[in-house]
Amino acid sequence: MAIKNYEQTRTFSTVLIFIGIVAFTVALFLGFQERVWHAYLLSYFYFVLIALGGVFFMSIQHATNAGWSVSVRRLSEALTAYLPVACILTLPLIYGAFSLYDWLDAEKVAKDHLLVHKAPYLNLPFFLIRLGIFLGGWIFFARKLVSFSLKQDQDGDTIWTKKSVKYSVIFLLFFALSLSLFSVDLLMSLDAHWFSTIFGVYVFAGLFQSVFAALILLSAWLLKQDKEKYKTWINENHLHDMGKFLFAATVFWAYIAFSQYMLIWYANLPEETTFFLYRSKGAWAFVSISLIVFKFILPFLFLLPRWVKRNWKTMIFASCLILFMQFVDLYWLIYPHFDSYFPHFSWVEVGVFLAFFGVFVRSVFSFLQKHSPVPLKDPRMKESLSHHVTY
Amino acid sequence: MSKAAEKKNKQSIVNRFVDLLLQVKESLAPETEPVLAGIWSDEKSFLSAIKELKQKGYKKISAITPCPVHGLEDLLEIKRSWIPWVTFVFGSAGCLFGLWFTWWTSAVDWPLIIGGKPFWSLPAFIPVIFECTILLGALSSVAALFYACKIPSVDPPVLDKDLTSHKFALYFSLKDKKLSTEELEKELLAVGAEKVIQSDF
Repeated sequence: MAIKNYEQTRTFSTVLIFIGIVAFTVALFLGFQERVWHAYLLSYFYFVLIALGGVFFMSIQHATNAGWSVSVRRLSEALTAYLPVACILTLPLIYGAFSLYDWLDAEKVAKDHLLVHKAPYLNLPFFLIRLGIFLGGWIFFARKLVSFSLKQDQDGDTIWTKKSVKYSVIFLLFFALSLSLFSVDLLMSLDAHWFSTIFGVYVFAGLFQSVFAALILLSAWLLKQDKEKYKTWINENHLHDMGKFLFAATVFWAYIAFSQYMLIWYANLPEETTFFLYRSKGAWAFVSISLIVFKFILPFLFLLPRWVKRNWKTMIFASCLILFMQFVDLYWLIYPHFDSYFPHFSWVEVGVFLAFFGVFVRSVFSFLQKHSPVPLKDPRMKESLSHHVTY
Repeated sequence: MSKAAEKKNKQSIVNRFVDLLLQVKESLAPETEPVLAGIWSDEKSFLSAIKELKQKGYKKISAITPCPVHGLEDLLEIKRSWIPWVTFVFGSAGCLFGLWFTWWTSAVDWPLIIGGKPFWSLPAFIPVIFECTILLGALSSVAALFYACKIPSVDPPVLDKDLTSHKFALYFSLKDKKLSTEELEKELLAVGAEKVIQSDF
């Protein structure tokens, strides 16, 4: 598809990346090393989740033989175009890991009995191997599924649909395990003393929420490109179903977040409660409450009526809110480790975020520039085009 | 008492019981009205027939289909159901009830120290409040559905038994005196009805 204003979008993303790199370097020179790497981890993780969510969405659709989602599937494939870039962006993070994780500091480990105990898992070589396996696996499955879909655009052979099912099922198994361990490695081990067995599911709930918000925004963008052409492909029935998924993900997130909180609160074990103690003191309490209100209560009530889920404007608002709150959620997970007394947020975080946003936009839109934004010869295309949600 | 009298007495008890059952049945019988129905066996011609009839100015068309037919609710101008509102209102009421009830039982009526927690500790009660919300919301929805669909109704009239497997029908109430039966019959056959039935429904 020839994207309108593609050159401007590229220039725009270049400017964002430039601003981000400047902010990053200036902050490094000013000596905010620890803070910069926290900001880096925050934005890195945020966009990895959205890109990985793209693979998750399409493999769920393949595995369940879903017909309605065929016309929006290519947009989720576009999201995955960021994954190889994320792989490159992991290299600076490995360098930054030394100022993020206590368990990489040999002196601190030597003094800390618990870290010694956890060393067989939390050590540099094994950490790198794991990161390699996870990112490599995700990119492998993403490329396979996307290439099947693109080949089908050419020849319309149903064999690609059947092959996608096999790869999707294997991916989903791999995804469940790898995402949990990935979030344990990068987020939970920031405080290596603390542990929560539901943590991987919590991160997954955030992924679930943010990928549907991103898909809705991309669909709205596609309609803005050429409304006459694409309104037959993606209409309010598809929006309605994505909206229902967004609603379900919102409830699921709240359910998991509360499950984690309640068990820790009830058991009241000192090694577990630290996590919520940091987050319920001073200014952090406001961030915690804002998560409950703006990531669950407000979107829940807002997304309840049917007409809201069938209206592009209201859904764009809901998606933006949820994508913003997903950022706050990750910020809430990462930043108390940097400063447990006060939530810092200023040009460092914004700058690094802009750089990642620029990279993300660039990789997603260059994919969409190269390929058709909707699958062309999928055997279930007709089912998707005549998709209709009854009362 | 003689044997004959005993038998008679028994019979009268059985009769009274049967009478009672018949009364119940009558009270649960759905209200019917005379209708004129056209039968189709093809979904597409059925839908186009409704469109044609609407173009000719007919209103208040009702339909019976063996399966969901896409686009039918728009054509028949069926409004959205009011049941979701019942679910919402009663769900919210259940939430508030759960909130009050957990507070009253644990902090007012019979305060007990459990695990060193405060008497009224919200995190512990959220599962209970959640369940109250779901319970009341779900039960009230089912009750509202029964009310809206007039369930249970005993012995509802049947227009055509094929309507439960593969045929489609649309019908007009004949209570409306503006519609002449013969004209309507002609009209239904003209838009492709296989047969036309007049009966109470």
